[in-house]
Amino acid sequence: MTLIKFLLTALAGVALGFMITTRVLDRRLSFDTAQAGPWRGQPKSGTMDIDPYANARIARTAELPLGSAEGLSFIARNDSAGAPLRPECDYIVSGGVPPTRYWTLTLISPKGFLIDNKAKRFGFTSAEVVRATDGTFTIVVARTARSGNWLPVGDAKAYALMLRLYDTLLDFGTTKVGADALPKITRGGCA
Amino acid sequence: MTVRFYSFLLYLAGVLFVAGLVHIVAILVMPQVAPHDAYARLAALAKPGETTLLPRALPGHEVTPYEDPAFAQAVCLYDLSDGPLHVHADLADNRLVTISFRTQTGQVFYSMTDRASLHGTIDVRIMTQPQLDAIEAAEGDEDNDQPLKELRLVAPDVKGFVLVDAMSTYPSERAGAEAEVKSVTCAPETLAQD
Repeated sequence: MTLIKFLLTALAGVALGFMITTRVLDRRLSFDTAQAGPWRGQPKSGTMDIDPYANARIARTAELPLGSAEGLSFIARNDSAGAPLRPECDYIVSGGVPPTRYWTLTLISPKGFLIDNKAKRFGFTSAEVVRATDGTFTIVVARTARSGNWLPVGDAKAYALMLRLYDTLLDFGTTKVGADALPKITRGGCA
Repeated sequence: MTVRFYSFLLYLAGVLFVAGLVHIVAILVMPQVAPHDAYARLAALAKPGETTLLPRALPGHEVTPYEDPAFAQAVCLYDLSDGPLHVHADLADNRLVTISFRTQTGQVFYSMTDRASLHGTIDVRIMTQPQLDAIEAAEGDEDNDQPLKELRLVAPDVKGFVLVDAMSTYPSERAGAEAEVKSVTCAPETLAQD
């Protein structure tokens, strides 16, 4: 009887352990997290100093994080007010980006894949984006076509935004980055 | 009643202890045991010792998640057990080109951009520590004043891959970016045996 109880305890422990591991990896948790407004990055994931959780995750998902000399990447799953991005709402991504040679903004599924849309636009590069005279930009993320810089959501039920700064001077290791350093994500109207 | 309660607590502590242990071990061994990691996916597309252009990132056709659709990407798988790997690039345009050197489990041990090129060329030799020692011993004292024209990298493992990325800032530059990453050569070398 005791033996069975011991075995059940061990089995429950193993099951719980695997469950926790999956949850933690799916939520992209790690000790190495940099945050600026809604954007989250893991600046050490492109070095040999990679956090063990990030290391386990890249092996599981097969993602290839940018090397530290290549650039930095950030993912936003919420708007600047902290609410999750909803596909039925419009969002305005605006502001400036830290000194960087190029940046790209891409719309991705929660698991990091591109989402098909009729316009065949999956993101913007810093060169493509139409800017105001002061150099700032406004990108509208919306399901239906907009004038200006329109990033279509397609038929996604959930999505995230990915901002990549290539050849950037920004260094999360040594600089404290405020929420203003990266673009704001403001919710507009909802369908 | 209290005895049963305490024995329940003890079993609960046992469950949590085992769960914690399983969690830590799972995180630590994941890079070694994950069956569909980046290297496995790339190995299905590319032959070792040459650069292979990866399919363009389009919905449903990505090789790995979190690909940037604005980039053309090529990969070179390497195995240093027979000798070093020579990566050479002649960069013609003022395009953003990045090169990352990764282990079989996907960690980046070195990365660079086209800004690190010398008059438009990049020469990198990846080798193991014994191979570096052999090359340095063979060179001896000659030309110690001459600056090296190549970058010598000691790889943490014998196997790994090199990822070459070129940006197409506008969709019209896609063909040029693809040609640029394809033009990067990666050639396995055999060390002269004495």
